[in-house]
Amino acid sequence: MTPLEIVATVFVVVGTFFGLVATVGIIRLPDLYSRLHAASKSDTLGSVLSLAGLAIVLGLTTESMKLVFLVVFLFVTSPTAAHAIARAAKEEEVEPIGEGEVPWTTDQEEGNS
Amino acid sequence: MSDADADPDAAADIDDEVDGEGTLSRPASERPPYVESTIIMTTVRVIAPFVLTLGAFVMLHGASSAGGGFQGGVIAATTVVMLGFAFGIEPIAAHLRNEQLALLVLSGVGTFLVVGFGGYLVGGNFLQVSGYETLFHNGSKYSIELVEVGIGVVVSGVITGLFFLLGTGVDTGAEETDTDTEPEADR
Repeated sequence: MTPLEIVATVFVVVGTFFGLVATVGIIRLPDLYSRLHAASKSDTLGSVLSLAGLAIVLGLTTESMKLVFLVVFLFVTSPTAAHAIARAAKEEEVEPIGEGEVPWTTDQEEGNS
Repeated sequence: MSDADADPDAAADIDDEVDGEGTLSRPASERPPYVESTIIMTTVRVIAPFVLTLGAFVMLHGASSAGGGFQGGVIAATTVVMLGFAFGIEPIAAHLRNEQLALLVLSGVGTFLVVGFGGYLVGGNFLQVSGYETLFHNGSKYSIELVEVGIGVVVSGVITGLFFLLGTGVDTGAEETDTDTEPEADR
Protein backbone atom coordinates (compact mmCIF):
# COMPACT_ATOMS: atom_id res chain seq x y z
CA MET A 1 0.00 0.00 0.00
CA THR A 2 1.23 3.43 -0.85
CA PRO A 3 1.12 6.07 1.89
CA LEU A 4 -1.73 7.78 0.04
CA GLU A 5 -3.80 4.62 0.15
CA ILE A 6 -3.12 4.25 3.88
CA VAL A 7 -4.36 7.81 4.44
CA ALA A 8 -7.45 7.10 2.36
CA THR A 9 -8.11 3.89 4.30
CA VAL A 10 -7.86 5.76 7.57
CA PHE A 11 -10.35 8.33 6.24
CA VAL A 12 -12.83 5.67 5.16
CA VAL A 13 -12.50 3.69 8.41
CA VAL A 14 -12.97 6.78 10.57
CA GLY A 15 -15.92 7.84 8.42
CA THR A 16 -17.51 4.41 8.83
CA PHE A 17 -16.99 4.67 12.57
CA PHE A 18 -18.87 7.96 12.67
CA GLY A 19 -21.63 6.44 10.60
CA LEU A 20 -21.86 3.64 13.17
CA VAL A 21 -22.02 6.21 15.97
CA ALA A 22 -24.88 7.96 14.19
CA THR A 23 -26.75 4.68 13.78
CA VAL A 24 -26.33 3.73 17.44
CA GLY A 25 -27.47 7.23 18.40
CA ILE A 26 -30.61 7.01 16.30
CA ILE A 27 -31.53 3.63 17.80
CA ARG A 28 -30.59 4.25 21.42
CA LEU A 29 -31.45 7.88 22.17
CA PRO A 30 -34.93 8.54 23.57
CA ASP A 31 -36.61 11.35 21.63
CA LEU A 32 -36.56 13.21 18.33
CA TYR A 33 -34.26 16.04 19.31
CA SER A 34 -31.50 13.93 20.82
CA ARG A 35 -31.72 11.47 17.93
CA LEU A 36 -31.37 14.37 15.51
CA HIS A 37 -28.46 15.65 17.52
CA ALA A 38 -26.71 12.29 17.21
CA ALA A 39 -27.59 11.73 13.58
CA SER A 40 -26.88 15.11 12.01
CA LYS A 41 -23.37 15.70 13.32
CA SER A 42 -21.92 12.20 13.14
CA ASP A 43 -23.60 11.33 9.89
CA THR A 44 -22.34 14.48 8.17
CA LEU A 45 -18.81 13.85 9.36
CA GLY A 46 -18.99 10.14 8.53
CA SER A 47 -20.16 10.56 4.96
CA VAL A 48 -17.84 13.48 4.31
CA LEU A 49 -14.82 11.56 5.61
CA SER A 50 -15.70 8.47 3.59
CA LEU A 51 -16.12 10.49 0.40
CA ALA A 52 -12.88 12.35 1.10
CA GLY A 53 -11.09 9.01 1.41
CA LEU A 54 -12.48 7.91 -1.94
CA ALA A 55 -11.42 11.21 -3.51
CA ILE A 56 -7.88 10.76 -2.18
CA VAL A 57 -7.64 7.28 -3.66
CA LEU A 58 -8.85 8.46 -7.07
CA GLY A 59 -6.33 11.29 -7.28
CA LEU A 60 -6.84 14.27 -9.58
CA THR A 61 -9.55 12.96 -11.91
CA THR A 62 -13.03 13.97 -12.98
CA GLU A 63 -14.49 11.46 -10.56
CA SER A 64 -12.63 12.89 -7.59
CA MET A 65 -13.80 16.37 -8.60
CA LYS A 66 -17.37 15.10 -8.50
CA LEU A 67 -16.67 13.62 -5.06
CA VAL A 68 -15.30 16.96 -3.86
CA PHE A 69 -18.51 18.63 -5.05
CA LEU A 70 -20.48 15.97 -3.17
CA VAL A 71 -18.48 16.63 -0.02
CA VAL A 72 -19.09 20.37 -0.24
CA PHE A 73 -22.81 19.99 -0.82
CA LEU A 74 -23.20 17.36 1.90
CA PHE A 75 -21.40 19.65 4.29
CA VAL A 76 -23.88 22.43 3.49
CA THR A 77 -27.14 20.52 3.09
CA SER A 78 -26.97 17.90 5.82
CA PRO A 79 -26.88 20.30 8.79
CA THR A 80 -29.50 22.44 7.08
CA ALA A 81 -31.79 19.43 6.75
CA ALA A 82 -31.30 18.62 10.43
CA HIS A 83 -32.06 22.24 11.29
CA ALA A 84 -35.21 22.14 9.18
CA ILE A 85 -36.41 18.91 10.83
CA ALA A 86 -35.78 20.24 14.33
CA ARG A 87 -37.51 23.49 13.45
CA ALA A 88 -40.53 21.71 12.02
CA ALA A 89 -40.72 19.53 15.13
CA LYS A 90 -40.67 22.60 17.36
CA GLU A 91 -43.36 24.28 15.29
CA GLU A 92 -45.51 21.17 15.58
CA GLU A 93 -44.91 21.32 19.37
CA VAL A 94 -43.11 18.02 19.68
CA GLU A 95 -41.99 18.04 23.31
CA PRO A 96 -38.46 16.96 24.21
CA ILE A 97 -38.32 14.21 26.79
CA GLY A 98 -38.21 15.52 30.34
CA GLU A 99 -35.55 15.00 32.96
CA GLY A 100 -35.82 11.62 34.70
CA GLU A 101 -38.43 10.23 32.32
CA VAL A 102 -37.78 6.72 31.07
CA PRO A 103 -39.08 6.16 27.56
CA TRP A 104 -38.17 2.51 27.17
CA THR A 105 -40.51 0.99 29.75
CA THR A 106 -43.54 2.89 28.48
CA ASP A 107 -42.65 2.03 24.90
CA GLN A 108 -42.53 -1.67 25.67
CA GLU A 109 -45.70 -1.62 27.74
CA GLU A 110 -47.61 -0.02 24.90
CA GLY A 111 -46.38 -2.61 22.46
CA ASN A 112 -43.75 -0.28 20.96
CA SER A 113 -46.25 2.09 19.48
CA MET B 1 -45.03 9.39 16.01
CA SER B 2 -43.57 7.69 19.04
CA ASP B 3 -41.80 10.93 19.84
CA ALA B 4 -45.06 12.75 20.34
CA ASP B 5 -46.36 9.91 22.48
CA ALA B 6 -43.43 10.24 24.89
CA ASP B 7 -45.26 13.05 26.66
CA PRO B 8 -48.97 12.20 26.84
CA ASP B 9 -49.98 15.55 28.40
CA ALA B 10 -48.53 17.59 25.58
CA ALA B 11 -50.13 15.30 23.03
CA ALA B 12 -53.47 15.81 24.69
CA ASP B 13 -53.00 19.59 24.53
CA ILE B 14 -52.34 19.43 20.84
CA ASP B 15 -55.35 17.21 20.34
CA ASP B 16 -57.61 20.03 21.49
CA GLU B 17 -56.60 22.15 18.54
CA VAL B 18 -55.77 19.75 15.75
CA ASP B 19 -56.65 16.18 14.95
CA GLY B 20 -53.72 14.36 16.53
CA GLU B 21 -51.08 13.17 14.14
CA GLY B 22 -53.06 14.00 11.03
CA THR B 23 -51.66 17.50 10.90
CA LEU B 24 -51.28 17.36 7.14
CA SER B 25 -55.03 17.38 6.76
CA ARG B 26 -55.37 20.77 8.38
CA PRO B 27 -56.66 23.39 5.98
CA ALA B 28 -54.42 26.38 5.42
CA SER B 29 -56.58 28.73 7.48
CA GLU B 30 -56.09 26.72 10.69
CA ARG B 31 -52.34 26.35 10.34
CA PRO B 32 -50.06 28.78 12.17
CA PRO B 33 -48.43 31.30 9.82
CA TYR B 34 -45.19 30.07 8.33
CA VAL B 35 -42.09 31.69 9.82
CA GLU B 36 -39.15 31.69 7.45
CA SER B 37 -35.73 30.55 8.61
CA THR B 38 -32.69 32.46 7.43
CA ILE B 39 -30.52 29.35 7.45
CA ILE B 40 -32.86 27.32 5.28
CA MET B 41 -33.55 30.21 2.91
CA THR B 42 -29.86 30.95 2.38
CA THR B 43 -28.96 27.32 1.81
CA VAL B 44 -31.80 26.80 -0.62
CA ARG B 45 -30.83 29.95 -2.53
CA VAL B 46 -27.29 28.65 -2.92
CA ILE B 47 -28.16 25.00 -3.60
CA ALA B 48 -31.20 25.29 -5.89
CA PRO B 49 -29.39 26.11 -9.18
CA PHE B 50 -26.94 23.28 -8.61
CA VAL B 51 -29.73 20.82 -7.90
CA LEU B 52 -31.57 21.84 -11.06
CA THR B 53 -28.35 21.46 -13.06
CA LEU B 54 -27.79 18.02 -11.55
CA GLY B 55 -31.33 17.06 -12.48
CA ALA B 56 -30.79 18.07 -16.11
CA PHE B 57 -27.41 16.29 -16.09
CA VAL B 58 -28.90 13.03 -14.82
CA MET B 59 -31.80 13.35 -17.26
CA LEU B 60 -29.52 13.79 -20.28
CA HIS B 61 -27.15 11.03 -19.16
CA GLY B 62 -29.84 8.38 -19.23
CA ALA B 63 -29.08 7.37 -22.81
CA SER B 64 -25.40 6.60 -22.33
CA SER B 65 -24.72 5.88 -18.65
CA ALA B 66 -26.27 5.83 -15.21
CA GLY B 67 -29.23 8.13 -14.86
CA GLY B 68 -32.42 8.60 -16.75
CA GLY B 69 -35.65 10.49 -16.99
CA PHE B 70 -37.21 9.25 -13.78
CA GLN B 71 -34.25 9.99 -11.52
CA GLY B 72 -33.49 13.31 -13.18
CA GLY B 73 -37.11 14.34 -13.02
CA VAL B 74 -37.27 13.63 -9.32
CA ILE B 75 -34.08 15.62 -8.71
CA ALA B 76 -35.42 18.53 -10.75
CA ALA B 77 -38.69 18.43 -8.82
CA THR B 78 -36.68 18.52 -5.60
CA THR B 79 -35.81 22.11 -6.46
CA VAL B 80 -39.43 23.14 -6.20
CA VAL B 81 -39.91 21.07 -3.05
CA MET B 82 -36.89 22.79 -1.47
CA LEU B 83 -38.25 26.19 -2.41
CA GLY B 84 -41.51 25.19 -0.77
CA PHE B 85 -39.70 24.21 2.42
CA ALA B 86 -37.73 27.44 2.53
CA PHE B 87 -40.27 30.06 1.53
CA GLY B 88 -43.52 28.44 2.56
CA ILE B 89 -45.67 26.17 0.46
CA GLU B 90 -48.53 28.55 -0.22
CA PRO B 91 -46.44 31.37 -1.80
CA ILE B 92 -44.68 28.89 -4.07
CA ALA B 93 -47.94 27.16 -4.94
CA ALA B 94 -49.41 30.53 -5.85
CA HIS B 95 -46.67 30.97 -8.46
CA LEU B 96 -47.23 27.57 -10.07
CA ARG B 97 -50.79 27.13 -11.21
CA ASN B 98 -52.13 23.61 -11.48
CA GLU B 99 -53.02 24.23 -15.11
CA GLN B 100 -49.37 25.03 -15.82
CA LEU B 101 -48.25 21.82 -14.12
CA ALA B 102 -50.81 19.82 -16.08
CA LEU B 103 -49.58 21.50 -19.27
CA LEU B 104 -46.01 20.56 -18.34
CA VAL B 105 -46.98 16.93 -17.78
CA LEU B 106 -48.97 16.83 -20.99
CA SER B 107 -46.10 18.31 -22.99
CA GLY B 108 -43.82 15.58 -21.63
CA VAL B 109 -46.32 12.89 -22.61
CA GLY B 110 -46.66 14.59 -26.00
CA THR B 111 -42.89 14.55 -26.53
CA PHE B 112 -42.79 10.87 -25.74
CA LEU B 113 -45.67 10.11 -28.10
CA VAL B 114 -44.25 12.25 -30.92
CA VAL B 115 -40.90 10.47 -30.76
CA GLY B 116 -42.66 7.14 -30.38
CA PHE B 117 -45.03 7.49 -33.32
CA GLY B 118 -42.30 9.19 -35.32
CA GLY B 119 -40.70 5.76 -35.41
CA TYR B 120 -43.47 4.69 -37.79
CA LEU B 121 -42.84 7.69 -40.06
CA VAL B 122 -39.16 6.86 -40.52
CA GLY B 123 -39.97 3.25 -41.32
CA GLY B 124 -39.87 1.28 -38.08
CA ASN B 125 -41.95 0.32 -35.10
CA PHE B 126 -43.16 2.36 -32.14
CA LEU B 127 -40.12 3.96 -30.45
CA GLN B 128 -37.75 2.28 -32.93
CA VAL B 129 -35.23 5.10 -32.80
CA SER B 130 -32.75 3.55 -35.21
CA GLY B 131 -34.87 4.94 -38.02
CA TYR B 132 -33.96 8.48 -37.01
CA GLU B 133 -30.38 7.83 -38.13
CA THR B 134 -31.52 8.38 -41.71
CA LEU B 135 -32.88 11.82 -40.82
CA PHE B 136 -29.90 13.35 -39.06
CA HIS B 137 -26.53 12.42 -37.60
CA ASN B 138 -26.66 10.53 -34.26
CA GLY B 139 -30.43 10.51 -34.64
CA SER B 140 -31.09 7.53 -32.41
CA LYS B 141 -29.08 8.98 -29.53
CA TYR B 142 -30.76 12.37 -29.67
CA SER B 143 -34.22 10.90 -29.96
CA ILE B 144 -33.61 8.66 -26.93
CA GLU B 145 -32.49 11.72 -24.98
CA LEU B 146 -35.60 13.56 -26.14
CA VAL B 147 -37.68 10.71 -24.75
CA GLU B 148 -35.71 10.88 -21.50
CA VAL B 149 -36.35 14.61 -21.22
CA GLY B 150 -40.03 14.00 -21.87
CA ILE B 151 -40.16 11.39 -19.09
CA GLY B 152 -38.24 13.74 -16.80
CA VAL B 153 -40.68 16.57 -17.43
CA VAL B 154 -43.62 14.28 -16.68
CA VAL B 155 -42.05 12.98 -13.47
CA SER B 156 -41.04 16.40 -12.19
CA GLY B 157 -44.46 17.84 -12.96
CA VAL B 158 -46.25 14.99 -11.20
CA ILE B 159 -43.95 15.12 -8.16
CA THR B 160 -44.39 18.87 -7.86
CA GLY B 161 -48.15 18.59 -8.22
CA LEU B 162 -48.40 15.83 -5.61
CA PHE B 163 -46.20 17.81 -3.21
CA PHE B 164 -48.39 20.87 -3.50
CA LEU B 165 -51.48 18.69 -3.18
CA LEU B 166 -50.15 17.25 0.09
CA GLY B 167 -48.77 20.56 1.32
CA THR B 168 -51.75 22.80 0.72
CA GLY B 169 -54.33 20.31 1.96
CA VAL B 170 -56.64 18.09 -0.04
CA ASP B 171 -60.00 18.82 1.53
CA THR B 172 -60.40 22.55 0.86
CA GLY B 173 -62.94 23.66 -1.67
CA ALA B 174 -60.51 25.88 -3.55
CA GLU B 175 -58.44 22.89 -4.64
CA GLU B 176 -60.96 21.48 -7.08
CA THR B 177 -58.58 21.97 -9.97
CA ASP B 178 -56.21 19.55 -8.24
CA THR B 179 -58.45 16.65 -9.14
CA ASP B 180 -57.84 17.51 -12.78
CA THR B 181 -54.15 16.86 -12.27
CA GLU B 182 -54.58 13.45 -10.73
CA PRO B 183 -55.45 11.42 -13.83
CA GLU B 184 -52.12 12.52 -15.31
CA ALA B 185 -50.44 11.46 -12.08
CA ASP B 186 -51.48 7.88 -12.75
CA ARG B 187 -49.44 7.61 -15.91
